Amino acid sequence: MKSWLLGAACAALVFVSGCGSQSGDSSGNGLSIVVIPKGTTHEFWKSIHAGAIKAKQELEASGQPVKIIWKGPLKEDDRDEQIKVVENFIARGVDGMVLAPLDDKALVRPVETADEAGIPVVIIDSGLQTDKYASFVSTDNALGGRMGGARLGKLLGGKGNVLLLRYAVGSASTTKREQGFLDEIKENFPGIKVLSSDQYAGATRDLAYTASQNLLSRYGNEVNGIFCPNESVTVSMTKAVRDIGKGGGMVKIIGFDTSVQSLRDLKSGDVAGLVVQNPVKMGYLGVMTLVEHLGGKAVAKRIDTGVALITSENMTEPDMRELLNPPLEKYLGTGN
Amino acid sequence: MNFPRLGSREFLKAVRPFAGLFVVLLLFALDGELRSLFFKGSNFKMILTQTVIVAIGAMGMTMVIVSGGIDLSAGSVVALCSVVTARLIEQGHGLAAVLTFTVLAGGLAGLANGGIITTVRMMPFIVTLGMMGIARGISKWLANNQTVNPESCCGADLCRCPGFSMESVKQFMAYESPLTFFPLPDGVWLALGLAVVMAVVLRSTVFGRYVFAIGSNEDTARLCGIRVNVNKVAIYALAGAFFGLAGVMQFSRLTQGDPSVAIGLELQIIAAVVIGGASLSGGAGSIPGSVIGAFMMACLANGSGIKDWPNYMQEIIIGVVIILAVGMDKVEPFIQRLFKRQSSSN
Repeated sequence: MKSWLLGAACAALVFVSGCGSQSGDSSGNGLSIVVIPKGTTHEFWKSIHAGAIKAKQELEASGQPVKIIWKGPLKEDDRDEQIKVVENFIARGVDGMVLAPLDDKALVRPVETADEAGIPVVIIDSGLQTDKYASFVSTDNALGGRMGGARLGKLLGGKGNVLLLRYAVGSASTTKREQGFLDEIKENFPGIKVLSSDQYAGATRDLAYTASQNLLSRYGNEVNGIFCPNESVTVSMTKAVRDIGKGGGMVKIIGFDTSVQSLRDLKSGDVAGLVVQNPVKMGYLGVMTLVEHLGGKAVAKRIDTGVALITSENMTEPDMRELLNPPLEKYLGTGN
Repeated sequence: MNFPRLGSREFLKAVRPFAGLFVVLLLFALDGELRSLFFKGSNFKMILTQTVIVAIGAMGMTMVIVSGGIDLSAGSVVALCSVVTARLIEQGHGLAAVLTFTVLAGGLAGLANGGIITTVRMMPFIVTLGMMGIARGISKWLANNQTVNPESCCGADLCRCPGFSMESVKQFMAYESPLTFFPLPDGVWLALGLAVVMAVVLRSTVFGRYVFAIGSNEDTARLCGIRVNVNKVAIYALAGAFFGLAGVMQFSRLTQGDPSVAIGLELQIIAAVVIGGASLSGGAGSIPGSVIGAFMMACLANGSGIKDWPNYMQEIIIGVVIILAVGMDKVEPFIQRLFKRQSSSN
């Protein structure tokens, strides 16, 4: 009798939730492709989603029906959860996968399992230490770091002292940016001295703020320029620089990625430039490459989605505006 | 120990988790899309593999909860032990040594829990809450605040170099062929075997009955001559050992030691145990129930994934199921009374 009640309740629950979900659009012979981000709440991933939908719309217009399933890990930044998502879609038997791996080693086995099960995988955003994928579509992070270095070098007129606050130990994409920045300074701006490049900010804004303050209390008087390899470091470092009264361009800060706050800082002149990626293009090319691969075409193993440098001068140009404010509503507007 | 009479209250209670699972599977079978995709050997293999960590943890937690305690440090100890496994592999220990030392490390954390709870007479909730932070901290310390990735220098064949046991540990959770049910990963067999052993231990050994006695009424148990403190320490230490083994499995799953893994796992484990019919006030619970509880949660998660339900829906469903499963206890007498009144008025 108890179990009856439990059953009835479960039934009600499942049917209620079944009504709320967008079911019943599996249109026969189309390709079903799952896109798995690292998380789902960040703006960055929404842009990737928009790119994937853009690809779907274009493919459908050209007569290739595609179903895009968008599924992030239940808990964000949890490797085990992302593995589960990948596994569940292997068992479900999708036609292909676009994956932004949370970790370059932990996701190796699930991707190899998918390969064994005959499901091709396109890796986006971050690298993976295996070659069992169809293609790797992402930003050239080293180039992004170099662009930042070049801009900072030019702003400082080829001389002065700069700081690099690294992001976190073991993060592949930001390590490449940091290395690109250091290479650029070393090769093309011999007059610039790197005061410190061995400090790590840590994963959260709060940790980054503390690390920035510590760094500035030591080098605050001699520093002329700072490179920050990601969004949280950019925002926190800018705040710390303002705290010591060197905002408004007295110390040139070059950041990476955008957020509401860093764009504000760019407008007000506290930040001298932001290197930005193109997540919409990343999502778009991820799906497009996978569909080409599924169609039997040869695809490049490495595809670059480009980086751009945004400054207060060019931030109103249409191209840059689209990068800064991707038309998410256009693609995700309804039924998201 | 006699088995409960068919149809008795105890019997109903014992079969409840199985009935719950049956209902979930039945509902899945009613749905056309789920029927074809969920009920596949390959899918069940995946669900079973995903259940292993929670199930092994639930075996330890069942003992603790039946004895009237709670262990909130489970998730942290799993993370700690996944890092310990990684470090041991790095140092070139063999499979047997890696397993033994990791399980011992977990047992040590449990021993500390049990020791403090009994000697200082503190609430298990508080002590294990403290241990939750301590174990998490130690795992980060041990891992230098990053993931530990032992290199597997050579293949599955034995060769003497650091990291040679990597491949054999990885094997626990490896899918040989992802499209068929068999062969199941070793970790699944290990969990099943342990479940059988622990079910017998808890049901039919003196230690097992002591666990129930302590959980039902600690003072009575003491008056009956049971050495409550010794047994309690043993319970927490043994539970810790299970969390240690779960840590090895966690390592095998990620193929890396990750100090930030398994945050909130203790709550999943407790949920599995509670769905399995255990009472948080002690004295009730069973190993088969807890394992089924863990399996049921994995089924629900997998099914929601296949149905393409958004993540929040999945979280809501699992939350409701937990409350339902436990709520049955309270609802049942009410219904019984209702039935009685009906039959007496007839």
